[in-house]
Amino acid sequence: MREVAIAGVGLVKFGRYDGQKGRPYREIYELGAEAITKALKYADMEWKEIQVAYGASMFGGLGVPNQCTSRIGMPGIPITTLEGACSSSQQAFRQAYYDVANGLYDVALAFGTEKIPPGLIADTLAPVWMLMMGFNLPGMYAIETRRYMEESGATEEDFAWVAVMERKNAIMNPNAFWYQAPELTIEEVLNSREVATPIRFLMACANADGASAAIVCSKEKLKSKSRMVTVVASSHATASYGYDNLGIKIREKGNPTCTELACKQVWEASGYGPEDMDVIQLYEAMAPSFLWDAEQCGFCKPGEAAKLVREGYFEINGKKPANTDGGLLGRGHPTGATGLAQVIELFLQLREEAGPRQVPGAKIGFCHCSGGGPNGVCHILKR
Amino acid sequence: MTTNSGKRQIPCRDGLWTNPTSPGEKPQLIGSQCLHCGEIFFPVNPVCINCQSQSMKEIRLSRRGKIWSYSTIMLPPPQWYKGPVPFDLGYVELPEGVRIWTRLLGAEPGTFKVGQEVELDIDVMQVDKEGNEILGFGFVPVRE
Repeated sequence: MREVAIAGVGLVKFGRYDGQKGRPYREIYELGAEAITKALKYADMEWKEIQVAYGASMFGGLGVPNQCTSRIGMPGIPITTLEGACSSSQQAFRQAYYDVANGLYDVALAFGTEKIPPGLIADTLAPVWMLMMGFNLPGMYAIETRRYMEESGATEEDFAWVAVMERKNAIMNPNAFWYQAPELTIEEVLNSREVATPIRFLMACANADGASAAIVCSKEKLKSKSRMVTVVASSHATASYGYDNLGIKIREKGNPTCTELACKQVWEASGYGPEDMDVIQLYEAMAPSFLWDAEQCGFCKPGEAAKLVREGYFEINGKKPANTDGGLLGRGHPTGATGLAQVIELFLQLREEAGPRQVPGAKIGFCHCSGGGPNGVCHILKR
Repeated sequence: MTTNSGKRQIPCRDGLWTNPTSPGEKPQLIGSQCLHCGEIFFPVNPVCINCQSQSMKEIRLSRRGKIWSYSTIMLPPPQWYKGPVPFDLGYVELPEGVRIWTRLLGAEPGTFKVGQEVELDIDVMQVDKEGNEILGFGFVPVRE
């Protein structure tokens, strides 16, 4: 496989484009199209240079990626719609990467776009009888969290520490839902209303609207090779036997989770390990999963993450800066656009374009995204 | 099934549990056991999710188990759910080694504990437009 570089990226600030309370109203395809045009501009490329595209959306419905691209031009290229729950757009990035790595195309586009209302959302992860019985995704997270607390000894206060840490980063990120918002305190998080015990409102990411895009290409197609960022390795795994389709361990067997499988693959393929990473992005639609993902990805031992968060280990000036853009908790979660936003933050960090949240001298980074299915998707990028 | 009031009772999905046919008999969840590797699944599945064998037999699952984990849901789930809020959801581990996603019923919301012994119960979850009662399953605390 040949080397693949990231030529350009684009983000539409994660927020609400619903026309309510003085906020602007924008359609889902307008958000996607804006992210794509920003990526083209960053890459200094023309639309006609794009040879293949993968567009992601989780709740958008029929043909959303094509609606986005048709606002820019009708290029006649293959445009594939990809849905992998919350990991959708990182899966799109992976496909774009592989197409270029394998020499099928020289320039490929990946993008994700989403508009979702606040509150619990009806989804198709469960059959109707389960929906009638009250199935909901935050509830599943909460059940997993209770079990993690039983096994690791983690507390609600530990989760509050994660929320406080990520808010600090989001405040500095102009594309984050909580940009310029006040810092959180542990007490505020612990006193916020319960969503699904033990998860409280400020331990959960905000549903958001937004879009993300990235263009990947062969080295020859790059307009500028200064501070070139390449994709070192990519992996995608689903759960092994013993887990249900929601990722819950329904058998007491020693099989790996989808996150453990995806990480094992990406570490092996890259030749790097967690200790080599200068900056990392972990998936945490709810604060507790930051802890178990840090453990499952290999950044610490099982049960150790909560202590490290309290010691500042994952802060921007800590030993292993994580979720430097605020993560899902701080950036907000337009589901189909989230996975690629993680890749984009790594890219900006490695280009030293992350402004006040820059990790000094970051040269290599890792991101991990989860999605119902359950899916685990990982990438390693390097300058 | 028809109640005294003349309303029909309809399970939220056929084949999830047995309907008692004699007095004193209690409903049981229906699972599948693989005739090749012995693994047990709920609900019934025509293929073994462990070894992909299609030689499966239906079995009745234990009525009692222990709460593996749970959450008290504080917001109303959208569209399909018509029950009270807050309410409890969780996984119950049966002696067969299978963990079942379920509602937890029969106690104040938020009072369940990991490891608590619970047993199967069938209740009316909602009434449809024709007045039929829609039944669902859940687990309630064991009271000896």
